[in-house]
Amino acid sequence: MDQVHNANDPTPGIDWAEKRYLIVDDFVGIRQLLREALRNLGAKHIDQAASGGEAMTLLARTHYDVVLCDFNLGEGKNGQQVLEEARIRNLMTPSSVWLTVSAEKSVESVMGAAEHQPEAYLIKPITEGVLLTRLNRVWLKKQIFRQIDEAYIDKDYLRAARLCDEQASDNKVHEIDLLRMKANLLLKAGEPEKARVVFEQVLEQRDYNWARTGLGKIRMANGEHEAARQMFHSVIAENRYFIDAYDQLAKSLELMGKSQEACDVLEKAAKLSPNSVPRQRNLGQAALKVGNIPLAEKAFRKCIAIGEYSIMKTADAYFGLARVCGQKNDPKEALQLLAIAQRDFAGDTLQLRAKITEGLVYHESGDYRRARKAGDELETMLGADPVRPDIPTCMEMATLLFAVGVKDAPVDLLCYVTRNNHDNQVLLDEVQKIFDKARMGEEGMLLITAARKEAADMMNKGVLLWKTGKLGEAVAWMREARRALPNNLRILFNSAQILISHLQEHGYDDALMAEANDVLMYVDRIAPGQQRFAQMIEQLALLAPAPPPTSVEEEQAGPDAAAPAPAPAQEN
Amino acid sequence: MEDHGGSPELFLFLASTVHDMKNSISVLSGTLENLLASAPGAPAVADTSYPQMAHMLYQTRRLNDKLIQLLALYKEVGKPSYPYDPNAVRIEELVQQLAAQQRILLNSKSIRFDAEYAPDLIWTFDEDLVIGVLLHAINNAIRYTTDRIRLSIAEQDGWLELRVEDNGIGFPPAMLQAGAALNGGAPVDFASNSTGLGLYFSSEVAKMHRHRGRAGSVHLENGGRLGGGVFILRLP
Repeated sequence: MDQVHNANDPTPGIDWAEKRYLIVDDFVGIRQLLREALRNLGAKHIDQAASGGEAMTLLARTHYDVVLCDFNLGEGKNGQQVLEEARIRNLMTPSSVWLTVSAEKSVESVMGAAEHQPEAYLIKPITEGVLLTRLNRVWLKKQIFRQIDEAYIDKDYLRAARLCDEQASDNKVHEIDLLRMKANLLLKAGEPEKARVVFEQVLEQRDYNWARTGLGKIRMANGEHEAARQMFHSVIAENRYFIDAYDQLAKSLELMGKSQEACDVLEKAAKLSPNSVPRQRNLGQAALKVGNIPLAEKAFRKCIAIGEYSIMKTADAYFGLARVCGQKNDPKEALQLLAIAQRDFAGDTLQLRAKITEGLVYHESGDYRRARKAGDELETMLGADPVRPDIPTCMEMATLLFAVGVKDAPVDLLCYVTRNNHDNQVLLDEVQKIFDKARMGEEGMLLITAARKEAADMMNKGVLLWKTGKLGEAVAWMREARRALPNNLRILFNSAQILISHLQEHGYDDALMAEANDVLMYVDRIAPGQQRFAQMIEQLALLAPAPPPTSVEEEQAGPDAAAPAPAPAQEN
Repeated sequence: MEDHGGSPELFLFLASTVHDMKNSISVLSGTLENLLASAPGAPAVADTSYPQMAHMLYQTRRLNDKLIQLLALYKEVGKPSYPYDPNAVRIEELVQQLAAQQRILLNSKSIRFDAEYAPDLIWTFDEDLVIGVLLHAINNAIRYTTDRIRLSIAEQDGWLELRVEDNGIGFPPAMLQAGAALNGGAPVDFASNSTGLGLYFSSEVAKMHRHRGRAGSVHLENGGRLGGGVFILRLP
């Protein structure tokens, strides 16, 4: 009966002795202790770092299989920031293990939505037995998730979701984790109904906060904002540490037009977990929106302060704080902030956004002459570079340019937005509103109609070529259409679908395969979570390694269902 | 953590001091474990330093235990919850980790530790919190047992029952009363009963575990299979 003596048995088939280890702790005694513990497991290759910065240098130089990193590292980056940066910079491979060491059970460990979570936590004092048990556990779990992770990296979400099912039936202890993964994959694949079934299946077993929050997210996506709000609210009542629920609650309130309440919720969340850069940024932006300038200032300043050592730091906080300064009639500090943002951050649209913010700052502080000058400069910048920023930035820019009296550039911007989103009625309504505000209602309506028609015509021509069997011409035409309308989802999807048809009918071709893949990856970047994306990635994956003739035959039954949408022809 | 109304600076200072102390204690207990593990022929050797070292290890464990409670309690004064993160846990792994944490101390004091559990049992709970509670109970048993401690974990009527038993003289009446009072919902008077702190902490951890309208609980008894003190944690 005395089973305890087996506790330090060697591991289930893994050689911990040959792995490369990194120990990160600012306390030399702890480093020695951990090194001793690892040596007793047989480890030979052990490096040490006394600070977050030192750890980053080592992580960039060497690939480590196992990192033991303390959460509190004194001055500089903390353990979480080291982890985030290592993940974002791809210094860790999917097979490497990250163990966070901490003096206590931390709030951070139950934050829910945090994207860059360690694989395990170790609470001091750490003994060899616990270290080994947790190492083995992470390793076994990684084996179970290996294929799923691979499919995930390939963005083949539907296959990954099926793999979760296969693994769940054999691995009772990881069943819940696998179901959680499956539900997230289904959400990513644009299958919220199927994800809902999984969340409900989990909740039959036990009341997990993440599952209830997941259900709330689906309700929110379905437009049931009040039901979603209640769901998030009840999660918080149950566990006030489940931060993800606060962020989602704020989102649902925002969608119901309750900006003030949304801001209050974010303020509470930021109090509970003040060291998240994105949360402080969201709080700042929400406070700016409701006109709570002191709160916005506090949030943006905090965001900048905690971002100092974080790879998550963002130019948004500088732009936001500049707006705050503008409202406080301090354009001088605003301009300094914009200068810092331009010095410290890079990005395609950064200069453009800095100029927009400058114009807004002048406009809001009543300096209309300088605001107009910024507007003119912005117009010149737009003329010099054909690449347009993301849609919200375009809308913001058009609003500003109209406000300062520029006309042609904002009209061009809004037509660009319309052409690239010709079937998004909610967005087109907003575009119309901007025209209305600029006292160009009628003209705007005509411009929108013309831009929509232009996009629809382009797409329809491709569909017609495809329908009449001229696949080569259809592919070429859709390339043109993409060049003209680089961010139109319908055109991008049809383009990918026509490329897939070509591959299916005329056989595998490296270049076309790569082109289809590029188009889909681009779609996923500008608009994640689309159902058609997941379906097409699956079709593409089936075509990948020069498919045998039989499977081509099977696949040909498919295009009907997933065919290029014929609808646009009737749209106008 | 910043919502401690009055004095966030004081809290941060206390928390960082405790972190610092825990580092030192980790080093102390780690060093002691290494010394005890490498002592020649221990514990048969009648070297007086050996039992003294064992006692030092016990005391460092105790200090660490208290610091964990201090941190958790200080952060949560008047609030309903600690950070709570339930997951499916294999009971076998739970036992392995407990045994590994206590092995050297148990060996050094020649205490026999038996564990009894169904090897394929899986339960959902916050592993770190439950390990903390059980380590505290085992540490306590080490202090009072003559030479045997028994850990048994089993499912009973939809509950997970975890029992730590010893063959010592059992809990004094005041402790049994404090235990019973906790389940009756009575607040612990820390001023008059400092021994209740660990019990209060354990009870709070137990209560955080809720499932289908039932909450976990902590009980103290005398008797059991070994005739001494029995600490019982029940989880839904």
